[in-house]
Amino acid sequence: MDVNIVLILLYGALVGFLSGLVGVGGGFLITPLLIFTGIPPIVAVSSGAAQMAGTASGASYLHWRHGNIDFKMGLILLIGSWLGGGFGVYLAKVLLRAGQFGNVVVFLYVILLGFIGVSMLIESLGAVFRSGAPDASEAPAQAATGSRLRAWIARLPWQTSYPVSGVRMSALGPLVLGAAVGVMTSLMGVGGGFIMVPVMIYVLKMPTKIVVGTSLFQLLFTTAAVSVMQAGVNHSVDPFLALILILGSVLGTKLGARLGARLPAEKLRLILALVVVAVAVKMIVTLLIPPGDIYDMTVEVR
Amino acid sequence: MARWLRCLLFVSIWMLPLPSWADEPLVVAPGTSEVRITTDFAGTELKAIGSMRGPADLIIKLVGPPQEVTLSRETKLGPFWIGGDSVKMESAPSLLFLYATAPIASILPPAEQQKYGLLLEGVPVRVEPHLQAHAADDWQKAFFRLKERQGYYHEDDTAIKVFGNRLFIADMRLPGDLQVGTYAVETLVVKSGKVVGRNLGEFKVRLAGIERRVWNAAHDHSWLFGGLFTLLAMLLGFALNAIPYRRTH
Repeated sequence: MDVNIVLILLYGALVGFLSGLVGVGGGFLITPLLIFTGIPPIVAVSSGAAQMAGTASGASYLHWRHGNIDFKMGLILLIGSWLGGGFGVYLAKVLLRAGQFGNVVVFLYVILLGFIGVSMLIESLGAVFRSGAPDASEAPAQAATGSRLRAWIARLPWQTSYPVSGVRMSALGPLVLGAAVGVMTSLMGVGGGFIMVPVMIYVLKMPTKIVVGTSLFQLLFTTAAVSVMQAGVNHSVDPFLALILILGSVLGTKLGARLGARLPAEKLRLILALVVVAVAVKMIVTLLIPPGDIYDMTVEVR
Repeated sequence: MARWLRCLLFVSIWMLPLPSWADEPLVVAPGTSEVRITTDFAGTELKAIGSMRGPADLIIKLVGPPQEVTLSRETKLGPFWIGGDSVKMESAPSLLFLYATAPIASILPPAEQQKYGLLLEGVPVRVEPHLQAHAADDWQKAFFRLKERQGYYHEDDTAIKVFGNRLFIADMRLPGDLQVGTYAVETLVVKSGKVVGRNLGEFKVRLAGIERRVWNAAHDHSWLFGGLFTLLAMLLGFALNAIPYRRTH
């Protein structure tokens, strides 16, 4: 596969820029961008996981130094996400053999990006027009869902306490959450922070600072494990692609963080929402437009 | 030019082993015996220089190593175009270049073209799984169409220059994305609709340098490679992110 190095570097920088600007991982943008460029979906997903392991390591270290990681919670999440990740890698293998992996990835992304993009767009447009007034209608609804889930988790076995976060709950809660995120890492090349963080804040009621550190810790070791497994099982990690992405995203993150300090937060979220919606629309359009040639050819690697 | 000179260093007598046959003496001399694909490889020029006796037409056929490809077809599911069925195509050459001094169809009758494999859409392709003849035919047509569109199968009647009916130089441009393996070069002399001279040669394309080592490691020891590479990525990310941060704060 011949791909323009500068383009990949730019993708890395763009996604790093956005993540520095808004504070999201950006895995959910890298994979679709790589697929648009013509990189096979399995390679995009696997190299994306390797890239995230790279970029998450520095940030995790900083949070560890600041004592922002709840290791007990993190380890239970990690056990869950390793199990989920391992299952996802074999699921990817089965789907690849059936020739359906690309379809599954594209549809999962359309759903995911459509959902994230539209909800972010509504939220940030509201914030921009009401200029900073707290969103009164959303918060109670979220809290209600959260408390219902919390009541359900409270009835589960294996109750245990997490001193760093100051919460007490069943170990099954983080285990299942981790497993769901692990499957997504294998199938979509995303870290899952966009699910993990709200669930930990609203459902598990953990302090925000600890949530960010713990989710980064979990992300680092989940993406690392998935990267190793994808290389081992599916031979799909492209080292050059991943390294270029890491370089690009490190540069982009620095720029993004610098600019992000100067721009108002709701405008930043609007920018990200527009980018996400644009990618989702592009994916849907690709699905709807009849292809120029319905046939396509891939060279089998050895 | 520099690349060509470097190739010459690998010294090489392309077309040494098999003597030419037939009444027409034909000498074809050095291009290269090896093309190395390094990280910055973006295709290369190959030259063939040769001599023949008297006026005649020439055909040079360049055949790449066989390659296994998967062909897939999109189907419509409701309003969506999604990936549908797929087949494997085996044993067809990865690359087929036909160079000639005139359009091949105008200098050789179809039977002779068939005999020497000079039809772009005439190479045998095995389709797996076995399909009904007409279904397989669709896939084969798509295969040749894609190969031609991607520039791996083509015919060119301007690349060979003949000087004074004796000396010829052929400029052959190889694309950047080459299948690794042995490439065969067959030079044919054509007079009045018949092949009267023939010369066979070959050269090898292989991965060189770090690219080859990484590639081999990724495939032969995939778990070890995955582990080490992920560790490397983590260390790199750590070095680039955390260390400058520590210094400034």
